Amino acid sequence: MAEWYGYTGRIARVNLSDSRVSIEDAKMEYIDLVLGGIGLASLILFMEVDPRIDAFDPSNKLVFSVGPLTGTMVPGSSRTTIASRSPLTLGWGESHLGGFWGTELKKAGFDAIIIEGKADTPTYLYVEDGRIELRDASRIWGLKTSNVEKSIISELGDPEIKVACIGPAGERLVRYASIISGERVAGRTGLGAVMGSKKLKAIAVRGLLQIRIRWPDKLRSMISRLYPSIMSFPTSQILSSYGTNGEMESFYQYGDVPIRNFTLGEWDGIHKIEGQYMVENYLKRHRACFGCPVGCWKEARVEDPRYGLIEGRMPEYESAASLGSLLLNSDPVSLIYMEKLCNEYGFDVISSGVTIAWAIECFTKGLITVEDTGGLQLRWGDPELIVNLLEMIGERRGFGYILGEGCRLASRIIGRGSEKYAMHVKGLEVPMHDPRAFKGMGLQYATSNRGACHLQGLVMRIEQGERMPDLKIYRRFYRFEIEGKGWLVATMQDWHHVIESLGLCKFVQIPPGHIAGFYLLVTGIEKRLPELQKCGERISNIQRIFNIIAGVTSGDDTLPDRFLSEPVVEGGAKGEIVELKPMLKEYYKVRGWDERGIPTREKLDDLSILGIIESRLDSLEIDIWGYKQSIRS
Amino acid sequence: MSVSIFSEEELRYEIIRVMKALYDRGLVSALGGNVSARIPGSDTVWITPSGVFKGDLKLDDLVKINLDGEVIEGFMKPSVEWPMHTAIYRVRPDINAVIHAHNPITTGLALAGIELKPITVEAVVTLRSVPVIPFAYPGTDELAKLVAERVKGVRALILQNHGVVALGYNLVEAEAIVETLEEVALTQLVAMLASGGREIPMIPERDRELISKLYF
Ligand code: SF4
Ligand SMILES: [Zn+2]
Repeated sequence: MAEWYGYTGRIARVNLSDSRVSIEDAKMEYIDLVLGGIGLASLILFMEVDPRIDAFDPSNKLVFSVGPLTGTMVPGSSRTTIASRSPLTLGWGESHLGGFWGTELKKAGFDAIIIEGKADTPTYLYVEDGRIELRDASRIWGLKTSNVEKSIISELGDPEIKVACIGPAGERLVRYASIISGERVAGRTGLGAVMGSKKLKAIAVRGLLQIRIRWPDKLRSMISRLYPSIMSFPTSQILSSYGTNGEMESFYQYGDVPIRNFTLGEWDGIHKIEGQYMVENYLKRHRACFGCPVGCWKEARVEDPRYGLIEGRMPEYESAASLGSLLLNSDPVSLIYMEKLCNEYGFDVISSGVTIAWAIECFTKGLITVEDTGGLQLRWGDPELIVNLLEMIGERRGFGYILGEGCRLASRIIGRGSEKYAMHVKGLEVPMHDPRAFKGMGLQYATSNRGACHLQGLVMRIEQGERMPDLKIYRRFYRFEIEGKGWLVATMQDWHHVIESLGLCKFVQIPPGHIAGFYLLVTGIEKRLPELQKCGERISNIQRIFNIIAGVTSGDDTLPDRFLSEPVVEGGAKGEIVELKPMLKEYYKVRGWDERGIPTREKLDDLSILGIIESRLDSLEIDIWGYKQSIRS
Repeated sequence: MSVSIFSEEELRYEIIRVMKALYDRGLVSALGGNVSARIPGSDTVWITPSGVFKGDLKLDDLVKINLDGEVIEGFMKPSVEWPMHTAIYRVRPDINAVIHAHNPITTGLALAGIELKPITVEAVVTLRSVPVIPFAYPGTDELAKLVAERVKGVRALILQNHGVVALGYNLVEAEAIVETLEEVALTQLVAMLASGGREIPMIPERDRELISKLYF
C-alpha cells in the first residue's frame, strides 16, 4: 500500500438504497492524473455516472471531496468540493465549500465520500475517525439549516462536530438549492436538491486523526516567511477589512455591477449596499475559514422593526448585488435578512436573485401577469416583495414553485418570449459581473463547464491589470480587448481547477509557483508547476466530455442575448457588447478542440487520458466524435 | 567552457551570503531584489525565491531552474525575475552570476535623467557604460527581452523606475558591480548637491582614453 501524505488515501462509498458503506483505497492513477478535490470528483463521476440520466435519478451520485492540501497549514486550505450531475444545468454540476467541514473530513480519514442511491426515509451520515454511520433524520427533516446543525450536535453530544446540510429548499428540490455548513455555502448548480432527492439531510463529521505531511518543518518555514507577500496582493487588505463586497465600488467604476437585470449602468443605491458601508454599520465580527490569513468572512448583527434581531452572515458581494442592485434594492438591512433567509432555506443567492430579476422584468413588460404570480404585483426596488418571493421559493409555494426551477426552466414554462430576459448560461444564472465590462469574463461564462461561473478563472482580475508571470501571463490584458482572451481564459480556467483540486481558496491569492512548492512539501509527490497545469487541463476536458454526453454542447457555449447585442447605456462600460464569436474560436483552437468544441483524440492523447475516455465512451455506447452538429452562429 | 571551483552547495551558500550583504547595505529590501548563479558550463541556475524575506534566506529556499524557468530542484517559487536572469545567461555564456538590486541612489539619479559620469576610477574602469532600460513591468518576458538586447558588452544596467542589474563571471564580481554602482551614484549625488550646480570635475580624458573610445 502506498504511503500517503496530504492525502488520506481512503475514499468512502455510501449507498443509501441499501445502507451499505464501503471503504476503498484511493487510486494512485487517478491522483496522478487529476490531483484530488474537484479533479477527483470529476473523474469519479465521469467514470461512474451516465451523464444522460436525470439529476434526481437514484443512479446519480454526489461526491464530496477534499484536496491534498485541505486541512494543512497552507493558507486558505479550507476547501471542499461537491459535484454531481446538476438539476439546474442538466449537465456538469459542482460547488465549493469553505469553513471547517473539509478539514474535519480529512481528519476523519477520508479524501472523498461518494454518495449513491436514494434512502427510503430521511437519513443523515455521521463520519468519525474512519467510520461512517447512517442515522435517522426524520426528526430534522424540514428544519432550516442552522437548526439542523444544532440538533445534530446536541444529538451526538460533541460541539466540535461539523455539519454540511440542506434546508427545506433542498428537500423540495429547488433546482438551485445549496449545501450549507455553518455560515459557509456551496451555493451553485443545485447540489442541495440532489441531496434532497436522495433523502440525505446532512453529513456530520468529526475527526481526530493526524493529517500527515511529508516535510512539515520545511513547509512551516516556507509559509511563515511568505505572509508578507501573500498579504500584499492588491485585494487582500480590502477583503480582510470589508469582505468581498468591499470591492463593489471599484467594480461599479468599471460598469461591472449589474443593475436592474443588467439594463442600467448607473445607480445611486450602490453606496448603501457596498461593503465598507455595511461593515461600518452592521458588523458583528470578522471571521475566517480554517487556516485563512485573509478572513473575508464577516458576520452581521442588526435590529430592525421589520425583521427583529438578525444575526448572520454579512452579504457577500454576490448577494449584495443579486438581491440588491440587480433588483434596485438599496436597503442594506433587508439584504442582511435576505442573505439569512437564503442560507436558512438553503438556496443560492445568485440564482434566486437572477430568477426574481427575470420575473420582475417580464412582469413590467407584461409577459408575466398577476395570473401567473397569484396576485402579486412585481416591481423593482421593493425589499418586502423580494423577501416574500424568497420565502415562497424556499417553501415552493405558489409562484415560488416556478421560480424554484431557475430562470431557464421557468422562462420555458412561462414562454411568451420571456426566455429573452432569463440571464443564464447552460441554465446557471449569471453571477454579478457584467461581461460587457470585462469581455474575458464573457468568454469564461460561455465556456465554464458548470455554466455562467465567475470563479472558475476569475479572468477579470487579469483584465483589471494583474499579471501572473508563473502562468506566462506577462502582458497587460485590457478589459475590452478580444485578442488573446481565448488563451487567457483557458489558462486561468485550468489553473483554477488546480486550486480546487488541491483544496485551496482562490481569494487567498498565492502565486502558482508557491502552490507547486506546497504540493511537493505536503505530499512528497514530485509534480512541478507545468504538470499541475496539465492536471487542470485534464479536468477541463473530462468535464467537457461529461457535458457533451449529457447533451450540453457548443451551442450552449454562448451568452444571453443582452450581452451579445444590447450595448450598455451608461457608466463604466458604456457602449460595449461582448464580441463572443472570435474569442470562442480562439478558445477552441487553444484548447485543441475541433470547431464543434469537441476535444480531439490528439488532445486527449496528449493529456494521457484518451484511453480511459474511450473505454468509458465504449461502455456508454456513445461516440462523441461522430456527432453532427455545427457551431452556433 | 567555464568550470566551477565550488560545489553546488557552496554556490548556494554564496548566494545567501550575497543576498544578506546586499540587504545589510540597503541595496535590496525585504521583498525586492534577486540573485542567481549559473552552475558553470551548464544550462541550470540556482536562484533566490520569490516573496520571501531577503535578509535571512535558508539553503532550502533556493530553487534550481533551467533556462526555461522550469523548476528542477527545490520547493519555492523562483524569483519572478527569472526570465530576465535566464535571458542574460542565454546571450552571455561568459556570465555565471546575475544580481538584480534596488539601489536607491542609482535608480533615483536615473529617474532624474542624470547619467553616471566618469568621476572616479571605479566609474571609469569598473562600470564603464551603464545603459538605462526603459520601464517594463517586472517579471515579464518584455523586460527580459529589453535587457537581453542591451546586455552585450556591459556589466551593469539600470532598469528605469525599478533598479539595477549587475553581471559577473562569479557572484563576487556581480556583487562588486552592484556596490560600485551605488558608490559612484552616491558620490556623484553628493558632488552635485554640494557644488550648487557648478560643473563637477571628471577624470581627465587622457586617463580614460581607451575606455572612453570603447564605451562612451
Ligand atoms: S479568503 Fe474568505 S473564503 Fe477564502 S478561506 Fe479566507 S475567509 Fe474563507
Ligand atoms: Zn526588482
